[in-house]
Amino acid sequence: MAIRLFIGFVLSAFLSDAAVAHGGVVQEEDLCVIKVNYLRAHFKIYQPRVSGHEQFCEDLPAASESVFVMEYQHDALKSMPIDFRIIRDVTGKGRFARMEDIEQIDDLDGVTVFYQDAAVEPDVFTVMHEFAEEGEFIGIVSAIQPDTRKVYAAVFPFEVGFTGIGYWPFFIVVLVLLQLQYLLMSGRLRRWMKGGWSGVAGSFLLCALLVAPGTAVFAEDGELRVSYSTPAGPPEINRIHSWILHLQSADGVPIENASIEVTGGMPKHDHGFPTRPRVTEELGNGVYRLDGMRFHMRGYWEITVTVVTEEGSSVVVIPLQL
Amino acid sequence: MRSTLLKLGGPVIAAAVFFAWWQNRSIDPPAWTDAEINVLRSLSLASLPALPPDPSNAVADDPRAAAFGEQLFFDPRLSANGGISCATCHQPVRQFTDGLPKGQAIGTSKRNTPGIVGSAYSPWFYWDGRRDSQWAQALSPLEDPDEHGSSRGQVVAVIAGDDAYKASYQALFGELGDLSGKDPVALNVAFANVGKAIAAFERTLLPAASRFDDYVDAVADGDLQQQETPFSDDEAWGLRLFIGAANCTQCHNGPLLTNNEFHNTGVLSSPGDLPDKGRVTGVQEALADPFNCLGEYSDDPLRQCAELRFVRTGSELVGAVRTPSLRNVALTSPYMHKGQLATLADVLQHYNEAPDAMIGHNEAKPLGLGARELQKLEAFLNTLTASVAADQSESM
Repeated sequence: MAIRLFIGFVLSAFLSDAAVAHGGVVQEEDLCVIKVNYLRAHFKIYQPRVSGHEQFCEDLPAASESVFVMEYQHDALKSMPIDFRIIRDVTGKGRFARMEDIEQIDDLDGVTVFYQDAAVEPDVFTVMHEFAEEGEFIGIVSAIQPDTRKVYAAVFPFEVGFTGIGYWPFFIVVLVLLQLQYLLMSGRLRRWMKGGWSGVAGSFLLCALLVAPGTAVFAEDGELRVSYSTPAGPPEINRIHSWILHLQSADGVPIENASIEVTGGMPKHDHGFPTRPRVTEELGNGVYRLDGMRFHMRGYWEITVTVVTEEGSSVVVIPLQL
Repeated sequence: MRSTLLKLGGPVIAAAVFFAWWQNRSIDPPAWTDAEINVLRSLSLASLPALPPDPSNAVADDPRAAAFGEQLFFDPRLSANGGISCATCHQPVRQFTDGLPKGQAIGTSKRNTPGIVGSAYSPWFYWDGRRDSQWAQALSPLEDPDEHGSSRGQVVAVIAGDDAYKASYQALFGELGDLSGKDPVALNVAFANVGKAIAAFERTLLPAASRFDDYVDAVADGDLQQQETPFSDDEAWGLRLFIGAANCTQCHNGPLLTNNEFHNTGVLSSPGDLPDKGRVTGVQEALADPFNCLGEYSDDPLRQCAELRFVRTGSELVGAVRTPSLRNVALTSPYMHKGQLATLADVLQHYNEAPDAMIGHNEAKPLGLGARELQKLEAFLNTLTASVAADQSESM
């Protein structure tokens, strides 16, 4: 009981620290997130010259070239002008600095070490600053709502050249050992293991259920039959070409005046087509011309044809081994 | 005490010697399966199809245009300071690259100088694919302040002021038109034609056969004795990894060993630069380029332009850059879009680790290959260098 109390105490100390001190940047599980009011973005900082691919959430190990990256989780940020400022921390509040403290600074420009004017970055937001010296800093990100001109801001205090991780690893090891010992003594570990295995078995079963319907008949969904031909010879990789699609109902009647969408990709590689093909012409009698097809790898591809007519819609997947 | 050490030491040393031998022993590579031979054939120069036509360039296959374009390619008068030609960065002796992380001309280019050989097969140009034809690409450096630093007015004035150039131009394209700038379309037409002549020359730069191609020929013929000649065991093992466990042919496929498509492979940013957004912005530039295939300076009366019309856009292209050809790769260091990696060993190490990308997502997965396997892969990559004899016959 005493051990659990102790763990609870230490954990709540960590958590409250995270909730209060991190201002606009919080660590959520293994993801660092910046919250600009209700708008969220995946936030990470790199020091490629000294730390390579290592990601930082806020504190940085060295006064060095630092790249700040925001990958939007809200599409609204894609169209909002965003500005980015880094100031020396003169608030005296350290990790507890907030927007109100920033607003009380008389000469904001005087303490600013980096400023980038508001600009719309539709894909990903990146800025770079080379810190000239170690110390305590505050980052301020402002996004402007284009319609209302309302400004949303995030404030995140951070340290450059932080002295290291101190005794944290030691504490964590102690905590893990204590927890393990508790679990062993209470017999919970064994129960967990059992539960774990049945969970794994369950997910296998789920996979099997998901895979089973995939054995559907080639290019047919019960109401719709799709066949295709490639006038320029069999599909080859790295060459843009056209397909001719033949659409029939299950009883062989050509499907006309259909609106057709074609997507696809390589399921094993988790990517789509290198192009964006579309149906460009209806040739009559259920025959359609599909342009802009290109495959950039050999292997297994799936072409998903979605057909919408007045009667309804059907989806057919054409497998293709290249 | 000493005798105990000796007793232990003997077997330990023996084990160490055995382990060292085991690690480095040469194992004959097994025979290729039919499926593998098919893959090998698809990578061989013998499978290279005829040059795809470029309907946007009416003189693309005109030898007179190629000869004119060759002169322009090497002419430094097309630059602001009279000292820079296309060949300043695209040096023939270095497979049309320059051996530098980033091109050095009037200033420093934004990216690594890519090779030109075989580029006529690509639907896209530049690392970020911001141009959609060889001729539109050829125009861009002329006006880039860090490269030729020239202007279309100056470029066309060089043609008009040189009798031989003027004659070549008129034979191909007719009169030069009003170049005073009062008629911007006339000036643009003449400027575009300069690009079309340079492109006609660049189209003639095609790869020559390498030891790898000789080897595939021998494998395809089933000639075991012949197979021994061009390839060592390490090289054959490296090739096996290349088409297998190392996943290289996911992108480096076809006879040019590139799919000319755009991929994010998580390369670290270059010192002093933000991470390169790559294709996500390049594609927008290609769509907006007045000299693209759909624009008024294109010669394609049908405006087929399939690559441009059916192009993929969107944030999945963040940080993606074009797959380079691996032909002659041993001669084109440093590597990657900003020359971040100095050697092939560095590149292989990078793909073996496949770290998370700084922006977007690294499409490559860690390979977990051992040091010896990476050495074999590197040995194989060295076989992609065109043989000297072949190179001379292709030399320009």
